[in-house]
Amino acid sequence: MPTDLEKALDSLVCVFHKYSLKKGNYHALYRDDLKKMLTTECPHYTKNKDADTWFKELDVNADNAVNFEEYLVLVIKVGVEAHKLSHKE
Amino acid sequence: MASELSQMESSIETVINVFHQYAVRLGNRDTLNQKEFIQMVQKELQNYLKKEGKNEKLINHILEDLDTNVDKQLSFEEFVMLIAKLIHASHEEMHKNASNTEGHSHGPGLGGGSC
Repeated sequence: MPTDLEKALDSLVCVFHKYSLKKGNYHALYRDDLKKMLTTECPHYTKNKDADTWFKELDVNADNAVNFEEYLVLVIKVGVEAHKLSHKE
Repeated sequence: MASELSQMESSIETVINVFHQYAVRLGNRDTLNQKEFIQMVQKELQNYLKKEGKNEKLINHILEDLDTNVDKQLSFEEFVMLIAKLIHASHEEMHKNASNTEGHSHGPGLGGGSC
């Protein structure tokens, strides 16, 4: 049986696929997929920048898609921001 | 904070809660020292890091690798890199264990669960 933390990590794998399996490459978030993810999954933590800015920032290799590794950068950034906010609440 | 959390938000909340649950125990209440980190790995990552959990030397090695400012403790910023590495490793495992070679499918990940 996975622990709650392990389930949360697997769940973050699922979050990516909810949006990446919609079309094209199985492991690619295109511009509109990323926008949908940002507004649905983490609007509080990402509203300081628009979706296009996020897309350019995360698409490190500039192939016009955010792959799984690049998505993990978003998870790190949202995690760091959410941890900071957890001390302000 | 909105009461209805998204899947991403609730997963990240779990990560933060586990970090704090161990970080508050000794010394600085917002960092994991060696003892807290070992306790956390052995309990909360018992499936993901099963092999490492049995060997404190291996756990210490993980801590040293993550401790970029070399203060012998892990801040959340340092800890979250382990989280990213583990998500990546579990996803790789899901593909290694996938039964279906056509289309996209996942087998069990590092924790034995999947998605």
